[in-house]
Order: sequence, then structure tokens, then C-alpha cells
Amino acid sequence: MATNLTAPPTRMELIKLKRRIDLAQRGHDLLREKMDALVMEFFDVLRRIQDSKRVAIEQLHKAHQALSECFAEIGTIETLESARETIRDARLEISSRHVMGISVPMIEDVEMKRDALARGYGLHTTSSALDESAREFELALKLLIRYAELEASAFAIAKELEKTRRRVNALEYILIPRLERTIKFISMRLDEMERENFTRLKRIKAILEERR
Amino acid sequence: MSYRIAVIGDLSTSTGMALAGVSYTHVHKSREETLEKLRKFLEDESIGLVLLTYRIAEELEPEFGQLMRGKGMLPVVLKIPDKTGYMPSIDELSEVIRRTVGTEVTIKGEMR
Repeated sequence: MATNLTAPPTRMELIKLKRRIDLAQRGHDLLREKMDALVMEFFDVLRRIQDSKRVAIEQLHKAHQALSECFAEIGTIETLESARETIRDARLEISSRHVMGISVPMIEDVEMKRDALARGYGLHTTSSALDESAREFELALKLLIRYAELEASAFAIAKELEKTRRRVNALEYILIPRLERTIKFISMRLDEMERENFTRLKRIKAILEERR
Repeated sequence: MSYRIAVIGDLSTSTGMALAGVSYTHVHKSREETLEKLRKFLEDESIGLVLLTYRIAEELEPEFGQLMRGKGMLPVVLKIPDKTGYMPSIDELSEVIRRTVGTEVTIKGEMR
């Protein structure tokens, strides 16, 4: 990557380096801003995720209880059979949303709830326990979908945040200091050369005056 | 775009989700078979969401982690607790928070 202390100590090089450091600084500022925006977005998602997760998981637990009751009431095999008969075409509408250049999924809230006739299993061999567990699972699914969206967003943002942070740090702690060091070295060297030249001229002048 | 949902889980989870109208369900039996199925689900363009239980996800490591890193935005993969309510004690998300936010572990107790 960048220059070390062996860069040729010329004025041209100095100008080039100054330009580079300007660019690096600007990039650093931009990335900083991006990082701030991502952090805000991240916390926003985190705030929403907490509730959503709890509710979804509680509902899933309830659904499992209802299903266990159903297994007990109408029998395991009958339940499995009914599940097989169920019409299974739940659909999701997913689009994506852009947050600072990363796309995060956005899942639309869809109603999973159906009435007993729309589910498709035979009604006369089953009992209300099956309807109950299907209803509970539909609700659980709906909540899980909402939670899935948030979690996927959180992970995507976190990944990007980490990447951005790494870049910001690389610029801030490595590239920019290195460029600064090189600039300092070159300008010192140039000053030193100027002083050398100055004394040299003085010396020549003295010699010339002596000769006269 | 409209997408379908897939589930990989134990018998109860799969049955329940089937009752809720989930299009593809797979009952976990052997590791290889489930992995194969998961790969298929991930490749399928019509699937937008894959639900699988924490227990199975753990059993599928390390391939599961690789698959997760390799996939794009879709499908969204979500781990859910199974019938016993099993969840790992260390929440993956809080682990990520710790890594990204720095050393501090954020407690988001106060809501609003």
C-alpha cells in the first residue's frame, strides 16, 4: 500500500502526498457518517426486535401446546394425515429496502389466518382441536415472519457496520498517520536541504570575497 | 414478488407449520439428508423464508454456517425454537451486537 519513509524527498512528491491525504481524509469523513447512520439504523431495528421476538416465540410455544392436545385428542396419525391434506400455499411478499447501500429484506405483513373450510382438511374426521392448533400456528407463522424480517435486517446491518468500522479504522489509524509521517519526513528533508544550500552559498560568498 | 415458505423441523414443528399453510416441510431424520434438503431450499428461487429449529441448526454445523455465509439476501433463514422450546443460551444476535458495538453488551431493557 502506501508510502514509507523511502519516498523521494521532492517537492513534487510532497504535493502528491498532500493530495492523497486530503482524499483519505474526505473518505474517512464519509465513512464515518455512513457508520453513524448505520448505527442509528441498527439500534432502531434492535429496539423493535426485542418485543417481536418475545411475542413470536411465546405464540409458537402456545401453538405447540395446542398441537400436542390435538395429537392426544384425535390421534397422531389422523393429525398428520390432516396436515398432509391441508392446502399449503402461504405466500410472502418480499421486497428490499436500501439502507446506506446495503439491501435488507422487507417482508410485507400478510394475513396467514384462514377459516376452517379454506384449510382443506376433511372436517368430519377432525375436531376443533385441530382447528385450534392450525389457527395458533397460523398466528405464530405471521409473528415469526415479522421477526424474521427484523432479524435478517439486523444481521445485514451488523455485517456492513463491521466492514465500515474496519475501513474507518484502517484510514484513521494506519493510512492517514503513515501519510502524515511521510509528509513530515519530506518537508523536514526539504528544509534541511534548504539550510544546507544556504550555508553553502554563504560559504561561497565568503570565499569569493576573500579572493577579491 | 411472492415467495413461498419452507420449514425444516421435527415432526411437530413440520406438522404445525403445514397446518398453517407452509408450502415445503421437511422432517429431520439424518444429517446428510437434511443438509441436502436445506441446500435445495436455499437454491430454490421461489422460496423466500426458511424456518428451521435451533436444535437442527446446531446439528448441521459447520456446514450450516458456511451455507449461511454463502447465501445472498434471500431466502431469509430464521431459527426457531422447537416443541421443547429449546434455544441456545447464548443469543446469536447479542453476540453480534457485542462484536459490532464494541465491548459493551447493550441492554435494551427500557422500551420507548
